[in-house]
Amino acid sequence: MAAIDRRNLLVASALAGVGALLPALAVAQQAEWPTQPVHVYVGFPAGSSPDVLARLVTEPLAERLGQPVVVENKPGAGGVIGVQQMLAGEPGYSFGTTINGPLTTSPRLVPDISYDVQNDIAPVALMATAPLVLAMAADAGPADLAGFIEAAKADPGGIAYGSVGQGSGAHLTAELFADAAGIEMLHIPFTSYAEVTTSIIGGEIDAGFMAPSAALPQVEADKMKMLGVTSQQPFAQVPDVPVIAGNAGMPEDFRAELWNAFIAPAGTDPAIIDRLNTAINEILQDPDVQEKMLAMGWKAEGGAPADLAQRITDDTQVWGAVIDRIEAAQ
Amino acid sequence: MRRDWHDIWGGAAMAAIGAAVAFYAMGQYEFGTLRRMGPGFFPTVLGALLAGLGLMIALPAWRRSGEARPFAAHEALAVLAAIALFGLGLQRLGLMPTTAVAVLVASLPAPRRGWRWRVMLAVAIAALTWLVFKEGLQMTMPVWPRLGT
Amino acid sequence: MTTLEGLLYGLTVALQPDILIYCVLGVVMGTFIGVLPGIGAMAAISLLLPITYYITPEAALIMLGGVYYGAQYGGAVASILLRLPGTPQSAVTSLDGYPMARQGRAGVALFASMVASFCGSIIGIVVLVLLAGFLSRAATSFGAADYAAMMVLGLVAASTIGAKRPSKAFAMVVLGLILGCVGTDVNSGVARLTFGRTELLDGINLVALAMGLFGVAELIGNITSAERKGSPPHVSLRQLLPTRDDLRRMPGPIARGGALGSFFGALPGTGSTISSFLSYAMERRISRRPERFGEGAVEGVAGPEAANNSAAISAFVPTLTLGIPGDPIMALMLGALVIHGVQPGPLMLEARPEMFWGLVVSFGIGNLLLLILNLPLIGIWVSMLRIPFRWLYPAIIVFVCLGVYSVRGSGFDIAAVAVIGALGYLLALAQFNPALLLLGFVLGPLIETNLRRAMLISRGDPVVFLERPISAVFVVATLALIGSSLWGAWRRFRSGPAA
Repeated sequence: MAAIDRRNLLVASALAGVGALLPALAVAQQAEWPTQPVHVYVGFPAGSSPDVLARLVTEPLAERLGQPVVVENKPGAGGVIGVQQMLAGEPGYSFGTTINGPLTTSPRLVPDISYDVQNDIAPVALMATAPLVLAMAADAGPADLAGFIEAAKADPGGIAYGSVGQGSGAHLTAELFADAAGIEMLHIPFTSYAEVTTSIIGGEIDAGFMAPSAALPQVEADKMKMLGVTSQQPFAQVPDVPVIAGNAGMPEDFRAELWNAFIAPAGTDPAIIDRLNTAINEILQDPDVQEKMLAMGWKAEGGAPADLAQRITDDTQVWGAVIDRIEAAQ
Repeated sequence: MRRDWHDIWGGAAMAAIGAAVAFYAMGQYEFGTLRRMGPGFFPTVLGALLAGLGLMIALPAWRRSGEARPFAAHEALAVLAAIALFGLGLQRLGLMPTTAVAVLVASLPAPRRGWRWRVMLAVAIAALTWLVFKEGLQMTMPVWPRLGT
Repeated sequence: MTTLEGLLYGLTVALQPDILIYCVLGVVMGTFIGVLPGIGAMAAISLLLPITYYITPEAALIMLGGVYYGAQYGGAVASILLRLPGTPQSAVTSLDGYPMARQGRAGVALFASMVASFCGSIIGIVVLVLLAGFLSRAATSFGAADYAAMMVLGLVAASTIGAKRPSKAFAMVVLGLILGCVGTDVNSGVARLTFGRTELLDGINLVALAMGLFGVAELIGNITSAERKGSPPHVSLRQLLPTRDDLRRMPGPIARGGALGSFFGALPGTGSTISSFLSYAMERRISRRPERFGEGAVEGVAGPEAANNSAAISAFVPTLTLGIPGDPIMALMLGALVIHGVQPGPLMLEARPEMFWGLVVSFGIGNLLLLILNLPLIGIWVSMLRIPFRWLYPAIIVFVCLGVYSVRGSGFDIAAVAVIGALGYLLALAQFNPALLLLGFVLGPLIETNLRRAMLISRGDPVVFLERPISAVFVVATLALIGSSLWGAWRRFRSGPAA
């Protein structure tokens, strides 16, 4: 299927090249694609954070490609449905943006998944990353990260933390943190950060790893405090929060980030992927785009397709080990 | 006496569904304990409850008379087939052909004979949906089958 | 800023011409989109969200608010005229609204629903202004145990709705609870009853369920019978208007429904669903002739409509005062604010008073506009029923399919409507009440996750349900309700089967 399309594309571009008397086939091919609207599948509903992020990139992308870029929202199963729908689309005109889950942890956690990340997905570019913050109620005992770890060590399983579901980024991050800090906490699954926030403020649970933008308004109102951030560098949205890595005896390489990437089905013409990668990297350099991403709690990234591939491999391994530990504990 | 077959069959179906869910959940998912409930706890308990309720509906109905209500088999088949075809076709064939096919199938049991009005209706509704959902609400979906590839 | 100053300030914000225009635009579009079966506030807002990127945040929030409650007015139209509810709340409205329409009293039912919606919204606004602080404290002091106990009370109280035989009513609730189990279990991550379909991992689509159980099932039975009966006779203007008796029956249910809704709506979660069902159950219980319910009682339309609209307004309490969205629609609205660079949270009332007070006042203006817009439209909506049914029903089928598709762009969900429709038709034949199935479906996952969460937090100690005062009140009320029902059944049994 993919091979035939590539051949058609080559034939078409060769004809166009001859017609226009252009010598370089590659140039003609790039001028030729895209000849029809490009579809970008997003595995989250319209108006959600991953959707808004995708649209921040696809709008300028449409200008650069000279064809409409249609965002198709196919929410479900933590983004997995969106990736599956992308793979069912027409190669060369079907792309996707997705958070890290469907490319790293979902194959372990979601049953009956229909794709294989290594064989079916072609990475295009890493678009943005977002750390989580460790948040507690403002009047909670521990004043900083060291105090938190100390309190947890004094009372194993005594600290209850909330997450947005079994296997969610917030859950896995907390377990990665607990393992690195040598502590044990009680996991309480919720379905949204809104519920986790209410429960922490109401004093029902003690802590939670959550999106900085969910915690920030409560911190400003003196209802919550943030003890640490999971990125390697301080995060611009919450610049005063210390990084966890290297703090209070935590390992220097501690890192737990959500990310959002632009992907294509495997078998998409490498020339198309290159062109998209270049365009997306340019868009991500735009200060206006960076600022809008930051307002939603995302840090604009970028990089080569190979960098994204490496990130997928690394994270699959890190989170796979966490999942192994969780499963062994049950 | 005509028994209350609706309640007998209805109750029996509930009992069967309940029992099936309870056994499936018991076999597939961890039940846990009352203190730490597993994923199988609720489905198993609810399935058993439904099975019991089903029997409570079906058994008394055996000794009770009931009225018969007609079963509109043709209508049900046409309507459900039209919906299923719409679901299968929308993303493959696009909005216009799928709407037309669904309308034609759905209108089969309508009590007026003839094809002319059915075809006209199909065209009119297809045009209306295009106007409302594609032009008005800007929903993203294919309108026509993709030609070529 | 005192309340009066705030309201005056809000008036200056909301009456700015451009803001007013977006308010009008929002309620008009909300109404017309809401009339389309299956396209509720959620889909309408996400479809219109892109427009708001280009206007000020106040205008954006006011317009989306207009779409939100406008869609509820519109949703009532489809559920009363054609029994096509897209939400559990509209399903309650259709319980008596649709029988009224079949008796040729569609105009009265629409009138009752619109007036009740308006009054309910006004009650909600008054509560929002006077009690926002109290309600936001209540919202954070509700823990998992309290939610679980409250939902169980709601379920028990409402599960007697429209039941000739209690066993059939309970069976529907339990079947709904079972269907609510389908999907990923929040606590363990296990996929339950999905049978290998990734489309089911997030559960059965609520709109598909409501459309299949109500609209599709009803349609199948009507194809031949509606044609035989011929189109309904021409309705004169007099018949569109309520009788003096109708008017006398409405104020009580509206006041009670509005009060219920404004309390439950402020609690994050499904305040609006619970309050509609509770309002219906309450009206039926206190009515001297409860047998009229389900046969076209105007109280059964007015109470729940007032309840769900006041709940829709007070749902803004946690959203605006805490920055914590109570449901996906509110989350979408907050998302719209974030895109504009407004950070919603506990400080917003002080930092951006124009947001809060402008919105409050625009709620009032918007609802007034809706009433003015909708009353003249009643005649047009009712005249839709004069379209020959053989033309109408294929169009309804296509619209239902697209309404379901609008939720998450899934062809699977449309095909699911066919399966659910078959189930719904069989249930209707055997006279099971699908509204109760919907109630169980919505509350089931909430009861389960909160119950299990409460047990986790208390480290497996069930006494938590009696230790927490809020939960204890609900538990006692539930037991009292069950006790009184059993006592009533026992007395009827003692006095002999003839009674």
